[in-house]
Amino acid sequence: MMMTARRLRSIGWIATLVVCAALVMVLAFRVNALRSQVHQSQARIIELKQETAYLETEFETRASQQQLKAWNDVEFGYVAPTAGQYLNAERELAAYAKPPEPGAPAPVRVASADDAAADAPAMVSPMTGKPMAVADSGDAAPARLIAASADGDDTPAHPARHADAGLTALGDKLATVHHAAPAHHAAKATTAKAKTAEAKPGHHAEIAKAHKPAAHDTRTAAATHHVATPGHAPVRLALKEAKAIK
Amino acid sequence: MSNSSPVAQISGSGPAPVTGRLHYANVRARSLLTAKLRLLWVILGFAFFALTAFVRIAQLGWASQSAEHGALADALVPPRAEITDRNGVPLARAFPSYSLWFNPKALGTKGSPLVKTPEEVARALVQIFPGEDYNDLLARLKAGKPTYLHRRVLPEEANRVFALGEPALEFPRETQRFYPQGTLAAHVLGFVDADGQGKLGMEEFLNARLTDPAHRAEPVALSIDTRVQGAIEDELSHEMLETHAKGAAGVVLDVDTGEVLALASLPSFDPNRSDLADNDHIKNRATNEVYELGSTFKPFTVASAIDAGVITDMAVRYPARPLQVDHYTIHDSHDFGASLNVPEALIHSSNIVTAQIADKLGGQKLRDTMIALGMNQRAKIELPAKGFPIWPKGEWPRLRTMTVGYGHGLAVTPLHLAQGYAALVNGGLWRPATLFKVDPAHAQPGRRVFQPATSARIRQLLRLIVVDGTGKSAGAQGYRVGGKTGTAEKAGGHGVGYTNKHAVIATFAAAFPMDQPRYVVIAMLDEPQATVATSGQRTAAFNSAPVVGRLVPRIGPLLGVVPDGKRDVDVSDLTPLVANGDGE
Repeated sequence: MMMTARRLRSIGWIATLVVCAALVMVLAFRVNALRSQVHQSQARIIELKQETAYLETEFETRASQQQLKAWNDVEFGYVAPTAGQYLNAERELAAYAKPPEPGAPAPVRVASADDAAADAPAMVSPMTGKPMAVADSGDAAPARLIAASADGDDTPAHPARHADAGLTALGDKLATVHHAAPAHHAAKATTAKAKTAEAKPGHHAEIAKAHKPAAHDTRTAAATHHVATPGHAPVRLALKEAKAIK
Repeated sequence: MSNSSPVAQISGSGPAPVTGRLHYANVRARSLLTAKLRLLWVILGFAFFALTAFVRIAQLGWASQSAEHGALADALVPPRAEITDRNGVPLARAFPSYSLWFNPKALGTKGSPLVKTPEEVARALVQIFPGEDYNDLLARLKAGKPTYLHRRVLPEEANRVFALGEPALEFPRETQRFYPQGTLAAHVLGFVDADGQGKLGMEEFLNARLTDPAHRAEPVALSIDTRVQGAIEDELSHEMLETHAKGAAGVVLDVDTGEVLALASLPSFDPNRSDLADNDHIKNRATNEVYELGSTFKPFTVASAIDAGVITDMAVRYPARPLQVDHYTIHDSHDFGASLNVPEALIHSSNIVTAQIADKLGGQKLRDTMIALGMNQRAKIELPAKGFPIWPKGEWPRLRTMTVGYGHGLAVTPLHLAQGYAALVNGGLWRPATLFKVDPAHAQPGRRVFQPATSARIRQLLRLIVVDGTGKSAGAQGYRVGGKTGTAEKAGGHGVGYTNKHAVIATFAAAFPMDQPRYVVIAMLDEPQATVATSGQRTAAFNSAPVVGRLVPRIGPLLGVVPDGKRDVDVSDLTPLVANGDGE
């Protein structure tokens, strides 16, 4: 009995020893495997970093100052911006949005793609698929608005009129070319305004003269919003450019 | 196992009790000893394993900490440190490029090393590398010795050579010095020769630093701005072509720190072709060649006179008729009437009036000013190629004082001029120029040459020259440029006599923006000719000044100078004194 116990114990010890040895070996193998993995990854990192440096150098060479200059001479023709293209502060930028002072000469209109808005197809009713009848009267509305503002009447202007006149002036001054998307916007705005005009035929004069807080109905607000939208984009663009230049 | 035997002996020794007891004791002692020994073995075994495991783990830990990291770092450290511009754009870096190597033993030692005839291979190679010489290639292929056939082979060229199907043509990949910007700032950078030694420029100056193993990994940032350097080289080479000038030089210097943002010397060379770099074009016109820079020195004379109290009133008029001094007559380019005041003299660039001011100031004081501006020694900059000025020795006689007053008889480099102008406009402090990026907070204190009030007056006068005078074509709108033209006839051989009236050095020294000067710009043309592009003129007003006029709008915004048409330096106290500013 004692003999078996002793034998068992010694066998147990040996087994423990063997297990420990095996564990150490497994550990060593795992560590080695991980190590070689790390080594591989590092080699890959080095390779990639060298590749990056190589490509960077190639890019720098292909985009060298002389190469850029040659491209500019042939292809782009960019020139240094002039003093007039810089604005000192947001205040100077905001001054562009000011409506013309009473009695000021009408802003000089230069040829621009603004007419594209007029040529844009009239809004089609989503229900019938036919052009909407209100489009005609809508075209007249902004014209009347501008006419009213150009009259130089001393009555305080309505916010909507203000924004419209101001943004027209801004558009002229920035000589913005409205391409497809803004033109669409403008058309929508026109339609919205047309709705206002049609819904309250008598009210329109009031909007133009504009002293009643009642004029702030939701539809006018919508019109204001729509009119403002196409004007906002160039302002933001101009700001961005100004920042980039600075 | 032997552990069963004592027990068997115990059971079999019953009949002899005395001896049996003794025997028992012996057996017990022996078995105890055996047990202890075995225990010891087991403990030793455990200890051994534990130690092995511990040592192994520790070893792994240590090894992965150092060896791997070192290998990674080593692989990415270039053999020569990178040089970048002030914004980190690489100007010189290690680049693994292919070379074309001829290995005659690639096909074994017997027979011809090439599959085709050497003539065919040489012809094909010349088609791929048009710059190579057919006969030279043929001779090298026939010689049968291992040699380079071409260095810096592009991958597509390597592919074409590979398509020839010649195993003897090999493409070892070698790390070489590469300048991505080509000839840009070549004189600043220099090049690396075949032995890996830096030559000329910062490659030579920084050779030890760039090859130091401890610092190779960190790039060296220069003060150069690649975009400004590109712009000035472009404008100068454009003007050089238009005027058929022999050469040109340009400097853009920060007036408050002395940093050189651009330093150009044309014609340039390609540092990538170090084999061809050793030619005449490595002469640096901006720091190595000295020139009499003519009228650009007049503001120094006037500033020195204001500082010394010789000029106290800008309205005082000086006679402007040709001046006879010691059998020598000082002339102006045109007749500007009977008399001129100081602003008019500068606007018209009158030698006669400046000579009189220099005379009143005296040789000693003018000389002291020039010494304070560093005109009597090599320019202070890191470049190894620095020319020594032609400096009149000893006491200056009256005529010498007068000629130096309008920029003759003293020859300096354009960099000297740039440093002097920086001191003129920055409030009067002279600082050495540097090609290293300087932290504005730790800029050199500089030494005072002019009083701040003098500097302010000179700023007004320089601005007037551009608004009303000879520098009109440098007046980039909104940048408040001020500056002075200078057209000096080139001295003949050994600095004696002016033999060729048509060989001139046309310089425009400018600073902007004049209400708070930030940068000095020097543009110099060597022997510009009168062409249609310059209205048939060869004076600085028609060639160098327009260079500055075109350059400033290109570099101003890059350097943080925003043009503003509503700001300018106040010259209202001087304008009434100027009758009519027609130039030079």
